Amino acid sequence: MPGGRAEASPIEFRLDAASGVPTYLQLVQQVEHALRLGYLKPGDQLPKVRDVVASLAINPNTVLKAYRELETKGLTAGRPGQGTFIQATLSQVALPELAGLRKALLGWLAAAGTAGLDEDGMVALFTSALRDFHERRRSEPQGRGGAASGEKEGVA
Amino acid sequence: MNIIETNGLGKRYGSTWALRECSLAVPAGHVAALVGPNGAGKTTLLNLAVGLAAPSAGGVTVLGGHPAGSPAALDGVAFVAQDTPLYKNLSVADMLHLTRNLNWRFDQRYAEIRLGELGIPLKRKAGKLSGGQQAQLALTLALARRPRLLVLDEPVAMLDPIARHDFMALVLTAAVDDGVSVVLSSHVLAELERVADYLVLLSRGRVQVAGEVDDLLASHRVLTGPAAEADRYAERPVVHVRRGEVQAHLLVRAGADDPVPPRWEAHPVGLEELALAYLREPGAAALPGPTLPGPALPGPTLPGPALPGPARDRALPLEDGEPSEVTR
Amino acid sequence: MTALRVPAWPEQGTSLRSVPWRRMAWVTWRQHRIALAGAAALLGGLAIYLWLAGLQIHRDWTAAVACHPASSGACGALAGYAIHDWQPAQIIATVLQAVPALIGAFVGAPVLAREMETGTFRYAWTQGFGRWRWTLAKLVPLAVLLAAAAGAFSALLSWYYQPFLAGNVQFGGSPVRLDAGMFDLLGVAFAAWTLAAFAIGALAGMLIRRVVPAIVATLAAYTGLALAAALYLREHYMTPLLVKNADAPGSAWVLSQQWYARGGQPVSQDTLAQVLSGAPQLGGGKGGIPQDDPSVNQYLVQHGYTLLTTYQPGSRFWPFQWIEGGWLLALSVLLIAAAVWLVRRRAA
Repeated sequence: MPGGRAEASPIEFRLDAASGVPTYLQLVQQVEHALRLGYLKPGDQLPKVRDVVASLAINPNTVLKAYRELETKGLTAGRPGQGTFIQATLSQVALPELAGLRKALLGWLAAAGTAGLDEDGMVALFTSALRDFHERRRSEPQGRGGAASGEKEGVA
Repeated sequence: MNIIETNGLGKRYGSTWALRECSLAVPAGHVAALVGPNGAGKTTLLNLAVGLAAPSAGGVTVLGGHPAGSPAALDGVAFVAQDTPLYKNLSVADMLHLTRNLNWRFDQRYAEIRLGELGIPLKRKAGKLSGGQQAQLALTLALARRPRLLVLDEPVAMLDPIARHDFMALVLTAAVDDGVSVVLSSHVLAELERVADYLVLLSRGRVQVAGEVDDLLASHRVLTGPAAEADRYAERPVVHVRRGEVQAHLLVRAGADDPVPPRWEAHPVGLEELALAYLREPGAAALPGPTLPGPALPGPTLPGPALPGPARDRALPLEDGEPSEVTR
Repeated sequence: MTALRVPAWPEQGTSLRSVPWRRMAWVTWRQHRIALAGAAALLGGLAIYLWLAGLQIHRDWTAAVACHPASSGACGALAGYAIHDWQPAQIIATVLQAVPALIGAFVGAPVLAREMETGTFRYAWTQGFGRWRWTLAKLVPLAVLLAAAAGAFSALLSWYYQPFLAGNVQFGGSPVRLDAGMFDLLGVAFAAWTLAAFAIGALAGMLIRRVVPAIVATLAAYTGLALAAALYLREHYMTPLLVKNADAPGSAWVLSQQWYARGGQPVSQDTLAQVLSGAPQLGGGKGGIPQDDPSVNQYLVQHGYTLLTTYQPGSRFWPFQWIEGGWLLALSVLLIAAAVWLVRRRAA
């Protein structure tokens, strides 16, 4: 394990092998999460690819893919010969908007409960809708048949 | 450049073909995983690639065209066989001396530093090291030769989880630092996704799947929907079907852009699920097109299974525990 | 962390020079030093014994030979004392027959057999040195080393047995150099047989691929070959000479003796027994014909029978040594070449 050095990154990656989330995506999410929580600020350096590989035993191309994704999102920038550095923060959502969203969500939860969904069912429904939303955003919008008549939906 | 290229490669022992019609083009700069049940021909393929065995049919070249086993190939390829053979009576220092004498390139300093980091004493006899330490020693010797290709035959089968992790960390850092291409065989599917970015699936002596992991995962999905409609997809490239009374899962060859029928859901596939599905369907294949060289591309529809029947769980002898069948 | 150097890889198309042969010297030494130490211990231990015992033997024989007059009682006693030394020397000669086989088997067989048995060939033959060069670089130096050591040892043997072979004091059962049990300890034969045993061991190791069975097979094959040479082949290196009666010279190697009737046909023992029954005072008839009994021979000659002795003269010792050494050397080269060829060809 690399010891503390002058240029060590503020964060350290971890890997949840059983989560089903692709590795590179976990790294991306961890960076975004760290940004959100303030562990990372613009100008901080992300861990060197070699160090991530050495500590997590993952494929270097995976790390490179994650860093490329972050760069595409505009969150990081690579400096040749030095590493990858944070250059922006996540767009913050304004507090009143956040409150409004939260209220709408609670309303939805109440409606779902009335319809007969238990907690797990709510989570499943939300997760699958989130995935569809994400995919629809990536590709051209296709007419997708109604989100699940969801009685026996399993979650992959 | 293709780090390993085979052309109709076959190997016969007596009257049994351990490997047949194997045509691969594994690109350089990757960590390629060679996967398959016991007896699928993984060790045979690796032995052919490093020149320990001679082909019965076809040919194999490495490092961009050098015949396997030729002096140039021996120079640039480092091999760690199953059970990491070492000379048990020789000390660690002697093994370093030995490897140094037998090769043009040997980075003594690198080897000593690595062994120091791993806590392997130079004076101890190789036979007295633990299994994990022996594997690390064999790997260190191989990497100190500064190969362009590192070939590992079931390197972590005998190792405990920590030793396994440390071993793979060593392999992967070498890949980062020196651009070493890696080909490793394994029947532990679970860890592959973290480690491999190229997959070759062998089953019963034939190549079933070959391609970049990203491409393979992008070109397959699981469709979940009503079992009654599962038969509708007979003409589509369905790889594997798992069905319950009302619900069925189809693993199909389709990309994110392919339309999903109504009442069906599409999920991305993990590497382990993909590999297991193909292993369960010996007739299915996902191979690159006939144009080699060049990086492998997932090809067009190839013979898939005919209408799949009810879930068949042919128990192929995978050594590690496969996940028990759970209808998701 | 550490600055790892990236080497310059050879350009594609340029031919790669082979790793120098001399690199294998340390490898061969380190991997076979135990076996070589065993051979050295065996030869060394025997050499010490032979040196000490040989000094005594030479003293005894010098005294016996120098004693005058030879027929006196005191000289007779000295002669008897010297002759007494032959007993242990004869036993030693028998024991020494096994030494080339043991050395060859225990040094030669494991070279390839152990690699195959333990699987270390998967390491050794994927190194840059190359598998057939590795094999050659091990077998040839070991062969030369063993042959040289055996050659030096057999010089000691020649010195040790010289008093018995000189023929200065006659005694029953005295050896001649061409005798089966002596010939392969002297001259170049001992070294050649050691070399052959090593070569057999090397090939057996590659064929059988397990150490203990290969050693056993080597010993068996060597024994067969040694017996064939001693009992059949050696007699025919040159056409044997014939002489009437039992007049072969003292140092000759007598191959056979045969009585012939007047017409030139060989005569059987039964016929001879019948003839001798007419002269019971000679002791023949029952129990066989006494050999080398001048009075028996004279009696049979008087009755018209001729004795012919087939023999090889002692002067042919060195020609025979070169012949035997020559074909053993050729055989060894062939066997080692076969082992190397198998290594080149072998599939994992």
